[in-house]
Amino acid sequence: MEEVDKILIHALRQVGTEVAEEVDSLKQFSSELIVEAVVRCVRVIESGLGGALPTSLPPGMSARFRVGMSLAQACQDVGYKGEIGYQTFLYSNEPEIRSLLMFLVEKLPRERAEASDQSAGKSAVLQRAIAAALRAQLAASWVPPNCRLPLHWETQSQGALHSLHVQPLSFPLCSKASDRKHLKDVKDYHRDVLPPVTAQTSGHASTAASILERHASELSAAQEWDNEWKSQGLLSRLTPQEYCSRKLTRLRKRIEEQLRSAAAPSSESAFAVSRSTSELSELLQTFRGSAPSNHVLTKGSHFTHTQKFSFTQETAAAAALSPVLAGRHSEGDVQLRQEEELASLQQQFQQLCSDVDQLTADMKHLNVTNAQVLDELKQRELGNAEDDEKMQVKKKTVDLLPDAENNLLKLQSLVEGGAKRVVNLAAQWEKHRAPLIDEYRRLKEICSNKDLESNRKLSEIKSLHEKIRVSTEEAKKKEETHKQLVTELESLPKDVSRSAYTQRILEIVSNIKKQKEEITKILSDTKELQKEINNLTGKLDRTFAVTDELVFKDAKKDESVRKSYKYLAALHENCNQLIQTIEDTGTILREIRDLEEQIETENGNKTVSNLERILDDYKAIRQENSALAAKIREG
Amino acid sequence: MTDLLNRISNTDCTKLCHRVVDGLCGREPPRRADYSATWSLQEWLQLLDFLTALFRLAVGSNISDEEVLAKLSDVNSSHADAVLSVLRARQQDIRCALLDRTNNISSATLQDFDWQLKLALSSDKISSLNTPLLGLSLDVRENGALRPVTMEMSTEELSTLISSLEAANKMVLQLK
Repeated sequence: MEEVDKILIHALRQVGTEVAEEVDSLKQFSSELIVEAVVRCVRVIESGLGGALPTSLPPGMSARFRVGMSLAQACQDVGYKGEIGYQTFLYSNEPEIRSLLMFLVEKLPRERAEASDQSAGKSAVLQRAIAAALRAQLAASWVPPNCRLPLHWETQSQGALHSLHVQPLSFPLCSKASDRKHLKDVKDYHRDVLPPVTAQTSGHASTAASILERHASELSAAQEWDNEWKSQGLLSRLTPQEYCSRKLTRLRKRIEEQLRSAAAPSSESAFAVSRSTSELSELLQTFRGSAPSNHVLTKGSHFTHTQKFSFTQETAAAAALSPVLAGRHSEGDVQLRQEEELASLQQQFQQLCSDVDQLTADMKHLNVTNAQVLDELKQRELGNAEDDEKMQVKKKTVDLLPDAENNLLKLQSLVEGGAKRVVNLAAQWEKHRAPLIDEYRRLKEICSNKDLESNRKLSEIKSLHEKIRVSTEEAKKKEETHKQLVTELESLPKDVSRSAYTQRILEIVSNIKKQKEEITKILSDTKELQKEINNLTGKLDRTFAVTDELVFKDAKKDESVRKSYKYLAALHENCNQLIQTIEDTGTILREIRDLEEQIETENGNKTVSNLERILDDYKAIRQENSALAAKIREG
Repeated sequence: MTDLLNRISNTDCTKLCHRVVDGLCGREPPRRADYSATWSLQEWLQLLDFLTALFRLAVGSNISDEEVLAKLSDVNSSHADAVLSVLRARQQDIRCALLDRTNNISSATLQDFDWQLKLALSSDKISSLNTPLLGLSLDVRENGALRPVTMEMSTEELSTLISSLEAANKMVLQLK
């Protein structure tokens, strides 16, 4: 029974009954506690029913009676079938209370359903609360900033409306890659001048944003590099640095091509100011236009240099001319002379100019003729050299003509020797070639083998990367589930030890088994006894019948035998009566035992004392009633 | 013009140069109010222009220390050394800033972006809506002027935006 009590007490505590720590069985329950427990249970089971019930007993007897009666009524409404009245609560006896509480605890709604109900309700309640708050804020009228009370401050201030601005930050860590020669200067700067990150931004609001932005950009750059390296970098079979430099040169080439193609049309049509339509060339123009950034951003094409050069020259010339002209104008009295002089000078100048033009034209002409003459000379020289060669060959043949046959033979032998030598050389070449080709093939094979090997390793590396990714994901997932389970475990009630329950249940089951075995044993015993009894009665009947027959036959002949037959009949009858009596005694004894048990249970129910108490209560109520009646009469 | 630098002490010169570099890197530039007693407005502007151009040129064209010193020929040697040391110390920062400038060569560039996730609980017609909305604000620098662009998107619109951005990113990756 202790286990049952523990479970009951635990359930009651969960419902909200304040059961003291030292109470661990129903025997120790006071009637106050019983009333509280029952009321709370009824409230949880059916909130409408228990709402009106008080959790504590009032002092007055009649009030107590009323509370007890309504409680009993509530229990019956919930569905309790057992005997129940107000005395059950006021003058408790253990088994009744236990059966009542067990019924109520079984009727309690399951916890899980309750929890899910609650969570759905919670979010709905939250949303309703948010909506209500928003409605209230919308309903409040807007107040100009100067008139705002602290009440408005929370909803109408603009303090929370910082727009996000990012500023570049400088960290000592990230510039570690800078070249070594300036390390001292860099260190000095970091130590003496560089402010902490919180002071680097112009406002506090942008500090966090800047740091986050910086971190995010670094992270994404690292991830991108990682992806690229895994997908393309590994396949290229270069070290990371080599891969980077190669990519850089490729990109540079591409950009150069693009820029060149975009810049070409603009340089053609540059004198007419109309700019080419393509956006890139426009951009290039703007770069050219902005003077301070010019030498930084673009080195400037050939065209811009020439343009600049010509412009500066012209402006310089203009600057040189202007003071001279100004000087002449200032002298008024010698103006005429000067004008004459000017005219003559201009004439002279024009003449000189035309002379110069003519001379340059002559020079050009001369240059052209000179070039032509030079060309002719070269051609002639070439023709001479050819003629010389031809002449020498002819000379040799003429020398050889007188001894023609001999010379022919000699020539033939020479040709043969040459052919032989060629064959010889070819054989030698073959001799050398064969091993070289073998070597070449071998090396080629090795190369392809290595290629295969490296391909295999590459694919292995790739699969490893994939595996790493998958397993990290898995680990993350598992960690998450672990966390979730841990939180679930924590949220579960801890005071109910499941193992104790199961152990107890197993014990009970084994007990029941033992009892069942014993019962079957006893049953078989009774069956055997019954059988024996049946056997004996059968035997007795048969013996009696045989004896009866024998004696009856003889009784017709003999008087004394007749007497003995009478005795036999009497004996049989008496024995039957005896057996009947014994059986009757047995039933009566059983009945007596039943009655005794009933008496005992009734005694356990303390009926007498309860009755006395009820009588007392009745008297008390009557007294109260009479007192009240007296009061009424007095009043 | 560079002899304007001689009017302040050596340490002040270092500080000023660092502030100039800060301004070049997108942080707070030096304030004129701090130096109004030393230089007139015109001198101040001249000096700032000169220093900025010097730093840009020195890092962008990667010229040697001697050439830098030659450009600073009419400044005290100690001041010139100070400028040079600042240049050395901040070389990486200036380089990053210049690279950034070159990267942002298109007509409009994204300066900052911010987002807010909102949950619309109800509207004027429907009592319970429960629709998530994303407010996205972009600060776009267009021809040197900052132009804020703000938009609000539902879930489908957001996914459309993200997919188009991903396609753009793919194109950029192909360019690489």
